[in-house]
Amino acid sequence: MATSMNDNGLFENLRLELRRGCLVLAVLAELRTEQYGYTLRKALEVHGIEIDEGTLYPLLRRLETQGLLASEWREHDKRNKRFYRISHDGKLMLRQLLQEWHNINSSLELIVGEGDSVPRRQPSAQP
Amino acid sequence: MDLLERYLQAVQFWLPKEEKRDIIAEISEDLRSEIEDRENQLGRKLNQSEMEAILKERGRPVLVAGRYLPQRSLIGPALFPIYFFVLKIVALCYIVPWILVWIGFLIFAPAYRSSSHLGSAWTSLWMIVLMTFAVVTVVFAVLERAQAKSRFLEEWEPSKLPPVRNKERIPRASSLFELIAGAVFVTWLANVLRTGAAFDSYGVHITLTPGGRAICWALLCFSLAGMALSWVNLLRPYWTMLRSSVRAGMNFGGALVFLLLFKSSLLVEFAGTNLPAARAAELTKWFNLSISWSLLAAALGCIIAGVVEIVRINRLKADRAWRAQQRTMNGQAISSSPGISQSGSRP
Repeated sequence: MATSMNDNGLFENLRLELRRGCLVLAVLAELRTEQYGYTLRKALEVHGIEIDEGTLYPLLRRLETQGLLASEWREHDKRNKRFYRISHDGKLMLRQLLQEWHNINSSLELIVGEGDSVPRRQPSAQP
Repeated sequence: MDLLERYLQAVQFWLPKEEKRDIIAEISEDLRSEIEDRENQLGRKLNQSEMEAILKERGRPVLVAGRYLPQRSLIGPALFPIYFFVLKIVALCYIVPWILVWIGFLIFAPAYRSSSHLGSAWTSLWMIVLMTFAVVTVVFAVLERAQAKSRFLEEWEPSKLPPVRNKERIPRASSLFELIAGAVFVTWLANVLRTGAAFDSYGVHITLTPGGRAICWALLCFSLAGMALSWVNLLRPYWTMLRSSVRAGMNFGGALVFLLLFKSSLLVEFAGTNLPAARAAELTKWFNLSISWSLLAAALGCIIAGVVEIVRINRLKADRAWRAQQRTMNGQAISSSPGISQSGSRP
């Protein structure tokens, strides 16, 4: 067989593809509380969503350009940090996206079936 | 911190001017936060190798900067298949014949074997390849920009799709045309061979030399064989392995004959009642030269047609193997289906 279940490269690619859309959801949801980039990354990690800075910061900039986030530079712990929070449009968008996500999830549960479901991964605090 | 500054400077180099400061400030802040975190965990300052490890984990500066840039491509995924197809067609119709002609020169024209000729031929080939590639790429890059603005590829009509084509079917009209054209040509050739004159009017006689007669005989044989094949194709208008193989053999055989005759310098002779001897000699020379080059072109055409037949044979083979595989799979599916006996018939 050309590919096997142990093909980590293929699994990693498909996993990243699967996660890509969920990252926007996670970031918007996490930014209902104002945070700066580094703490946001750590908060996502604590909830089991690891995201590297090379993905997070360009994503934050894109979401801000799209009007879903607002940011401001402020001094904190004697250093200038950029704080992000969800905007009004972002909140509306998050609501719609969460609805869509729930719909997809329900459909997938039906398609995959209970028999094939796998144990959920526990959120880890490890980076 | 010197290493950190050097890293930030290297990232900054690749960033767009208008966002440079902002992005670097954010990357810098993130890195400093991480360094601070690690130092708090360790209870001491980070050493050089620990700093290097953090930066290495972040990635090469150009890659880090690249993530902040908009996605750019000269030719995007929408146009790329068409671009690649055009490149293949250009290579097949322009560069491959060029190489074949060059090989022909190399084999049959000893003057071309000198190193200066070889060098200049390769230089001009590479120039042609590069220029063709560049022109096609530039045209598609322009089309890509136009497509990004007008989305013209998204406008299409399903009803305008071409009809389903059976590649193995031989159009009867083309077989009929081949038969008629072949009959006319064979009649003319037979007459030339009978009289020994290719042209005899207005006081001008063009007569065949022994080399010329050899060409005519070869042409006559190939034309008759071709007519026989066209006749079979007219009655049974589908390509088979046998007919395709015969046609490939005829094409390659024809190419060989034409290449051998290409070397003959005298194929026809001019003579005329009102034609001065010097003028007749000159005409003979130029006429034979043009026939020689026509023979080379005909050989090239035969080789290309032969290659097309080889491709067809391979396709027929692949189709046959695929059909056999499907039959086997269907047989297995039927035999393993509940309620169906091993013979495939329902009980």
